[in-house]
Amino acid sequence: MDTLIPLIAALPMAGFVITAAIGRRLGRRAFWIPVLAVAASWAIAMVVVVTALTGGFAEGSYTVRLWDWIPAGGFHVEVAFVVDNLTACLLIVVTTIGLLVHVYSIGYMAHDPAGYWRFFAYLNLFMFSMLLLVLADNWLTVFVAWELVGLCSYLLIGFWYRKNSAALASKKAFLVNRVGDVGFALGIMAVWVDTGTLNIQESIHILTSETLVAFPIPVGLIALLIFAGAMGKSAQFPLHVWLPDAMEGPTPVSALIHAATMVNAGVYLVARANPIFASAPETMVVVAGIGIFTAILAASIAMTQTDIKRVLAYSTLSQLGYMFAALGVGAWTAAIFHLMTHGFFKGLLFLGSGSVIHAVHEEQDMRKMGGLAKKIPHTYWTMLIGAIAIAGIPPLAGFFSKDEILGEAYKLGFQWVWAIGVVVAIMTAFYMFRLIGLTFWGESRVEVAVEPTIHESPRVMTIPLWLLAIPSIVLGLILAWPGPPLGPLLGLEGPGLLAGWLEPVYEHGFEILGHHEAEFAIFGIDGVLILVSVAVATGGMLAAWRLFGVEIGPLRGRAEPAQVKAISARVPFLYRASLNKWWFDDLNHLLFIVIGGRVAAFAWWFDAKVVDGIVNGIGTVARLSGGGLARVQTGHVQNYALGIAVGLIVMVGSYLVIAGR
Amino acid sequence: MRAWLYLLAAAVAGAVITTPALLVYAFAGGTVDDALFAALATLMLVSGLAVVTMRDIIRCGLAMIVCFLALAGIYVVAGAPLVAAAQVIVYIGAISVLILFAIMLTQSKDAPARLVFQTQAVPAAVAAVVLAVLIGLGVSSTDWGEASRRARLATDALAGVLFDQYVLPFEVVSVLLLAAVIGGVFIAKREREPD
Amino acid sequence: MADSLDAYLILAGTLFAIGTFGFLARRNAISMLMSIELMLNAVNLAIVAFGSFIPALKADGSVIALMVMAVAAAEATVGLAIVIAIYRNRKTPLVDEYDAMRR
Repeated sequence: MDTLIPLIAALPMAGFVITAAIGRRLGRRAFWIPVLAVAASWAIAMVVVVTALTGGFAEGSYTVRLWDWIPAGGFHVEVAFVVDNLTACLLIVVTTIGLLVHVYSIGYMAHDPAGYWRFFAYLNLFMFSMLLLVLADNWLTVFVAWELVGLCSYLLIGFWYRKNSAALASKKAFLVNRVGDVGFALGIMAVWVDTGTLNIQESIHILTSETLVAFPIPVGLIALLIFAGAMGKSAQFPLHVWLPDAMEGPTPVSALIHAATMVNAGVYLVARANPIFASAPETMVVVAGIGIFTAILAASIAMTQTDIKRVLAYSTLSQLGYMFAALGVGAWTAAIFHLMTHGFFKGLLFLGSGSVIHAVHEEQDMRKMGGLAKKIPHTYWTMLIGAIAIAGIPPLAGFFSKDEILGEAYKLGFQWVWAIGVVVAIMTAFYMFRLIGLTFWGESRVEVAVEPTIHESPRVMTIPLWLLAIPSIVLGLILAWPGPPLGPLLGLEGPGLLAGWLEPVYEHGFEILGHHEAEFAIFGIDGVLILVSVAVATGGMLAAWRLFGVEIGPLRGRAEPAQVKAISARVPFLYRASLNKWWFDDLNHLLFIVIGGRVAAFAWWFDAKVVDGIVNGIGTVARLSGGGLARVQTGHVQNYALGIAVGLIVMVGSYLVIAGR
Repeated sequence: MRAWLYLLAAAVAGAVITTPALLVYAFAGGTVDDALFAALATLMLVSGLAVVTMRDIIRCGLAMIVCFLALAGIYVVAGAPLVAAAQVIVYIGAISVLILFAIMLTQSKDAPARLVFQTQAVPAAVAAVVLAVLIGLGVSSTDWGEASRRARLATDALAGVLFDQYVLPFEVVSVLLLAAVIGGVFIAKREREPD
Repeated sequence: MADSLDAYLILAGTLFAIGTFGFLARRNAISMLMSIELMLNAVNLAIVAFGSFIPALKADGSVIALMVMAVAAAEATVGLAIVIAIYRNRKTPLVDEYDAMRR
């Protein structure tokens, strides 16, 4: 185990180094090394995960000390990997989706041979960074990995760097991330100030111990700062602006980084620090509030977007909002549950959209798609599965995780979160089936020139799609078994699989919150909540079918674009707001570019004219005074002699005066 | 007519000089020595002023000679006749002649037409006046102790000291004069034209 | 008056001031040298006066005055030689036209 765990992260690193060094020469075959590295990493990770989840580790976690990084007396940081059940869950998501995206990229990036090796090198670097993040045992290593994933995101979003919009988007992502990172860094420093250690478990233990110690920096503030970091990385309001623009990157990147792994880092961070948050109920309310607000904000925007990837990006934002809402209300298991299921079906949806884009020759506007269902069947069916999953229709994965979030929110007293969450669920179902309708059903609006060339993607791309579809269908069932909601229905007792795994991770937090699992009353409140969830999801779906058509098996319906226009016309403000992303980008532009630009211009003026003026002024004074004083040097001896005489007089005179006293 | 003018000038000069002497002798109750001293002092200062203010350099040189003469007289009054003799021989006989030679060698045709004084003449005058005042103050405010009557120095006493106690400085001064002569000749030598 | 040391000294000081003025104000180099001679004579007078009035300095005053005279002679020699040499180079005896050292 001591060698296996570091290997999980080391293999992608090695893959990156080797590919970066010799990738260019390998040309088309550059994918072998990175893909194999990630495959090996996945295999080892599965071994470790199985060991962890079946209780193979003695104390529930296993630590591998690698080396002493900073032995600076009181400030001691060592690099070590720790694997507990939470890490294991994250490892499943990261390595599996990572591997499938790597395989998918073999096909997707094949038409870009010049950058092929670069892409895989960056992907491997990203895998390394993400694995480092989930395996790290102290805050500083997490921060390093945090920044590394930000870097990889920048590199990959701006992969096609010659495209101006891509370069701008990658910069935007990086900068917005940095804003959050400031908060995170401050939080880490605060942890250090309060506890004197940067080891995650130790510091959490000190911060949340029973004794009422007055910390120099209150625990609530630390929690808030950590959440700030999570806000940046997981794109919560108001730092959400970078995620939609990040769609400029290649679709596998969107799938891996911006759906399944990197954006989950924030959720992981808050889950990891759950006792800290539990000690700060006010912060948890903030987390829940921001989370659910982001959810509804993003969902409202997704309803009018026309770029297929943008819809999915806003959907990701919305689902991340759900996860943070779950974390905020204290339903930590539900958050991780949704993290895992969302990773799979969102990854599936993104890869599927990549396949669609590939099929219609890089067209991303849904208004120019339509009627693709028969032409690209594999893509169509897998995406349909993904859409049903995300809409929350049972028994697919999304239903279980989403329902758990909403149910817990209601039961833990956050009814407002529940209510908003229900509205979001309606909107989610609606826009997902709008997407499916516009893309796959109805008449083809594809450009005439492109029409005959539409073809299904190669197997190297469709097989990952199917492989992702499977967990999208069954993962919910598996992870919730034998607990609610199905267990009690069948008369089974006990917590779900995932809940059982994560119990030791959260028990300290639950203790502080004073929670305990309430009885699941399938025929009581819980049943009602489940029915409401299913009802709203179905309602949203049906509304979408009504407006955008449906062609599933015997179900047929026409799209009604006229009706869509009519409805949009009735709520012009909402429609425009949604289309313009609620003008947040414009607000940021005004605040930072325009006003910030003025401030910067003023600072430049100040520096150039005043500061430099002072410095130059000193020089000028020196020059002028030197010039003036140089006039003493007349070259005439008699002038000098006069000076001597005056000096003599002064000396004698002053001597007389002084001696006279 | 010229001669008459010169005669008049000489008479005025004589009057100027003897007036203070007579005044001192007659009214300040002074002895002959005092009168002599007053006359010679006046002569000396007037000719000194003439040296530094006159336009024509040769006339300055001549005024300088008169100044030295008056100074020699004061030496006699002060009781140092040998020094007075040396003053006449060295200063008037040698140095003044030297200076007159140098003036002749460096005359340029248009010398009288130009300015006599530098642009810094006024500050120089101020400085000189202040200096004189300071020296006067310093001198008069010092208690010289047992400043007795001036003593007349016998020549043989002087000789005794000069060649006994001060023989080394005496010899060094002679070497110095030798060096000065050689140096002066060398510096003033005309550059040999290449033949 | 002839019997007071102060008179001699004040006289010497005045002559010295006159010499200073001449040194600082005249344009001709030889005038400057003449002024220097005046200053040296003033000092000589002071020394002789001290020698005359202060018993402890009976003969020393005169001896020093003689030395000073000799040195003045030497200095006048060399100074005039220099002035002549410069005159030959610059064709002018006026010191304010000797400004080659200026800047």
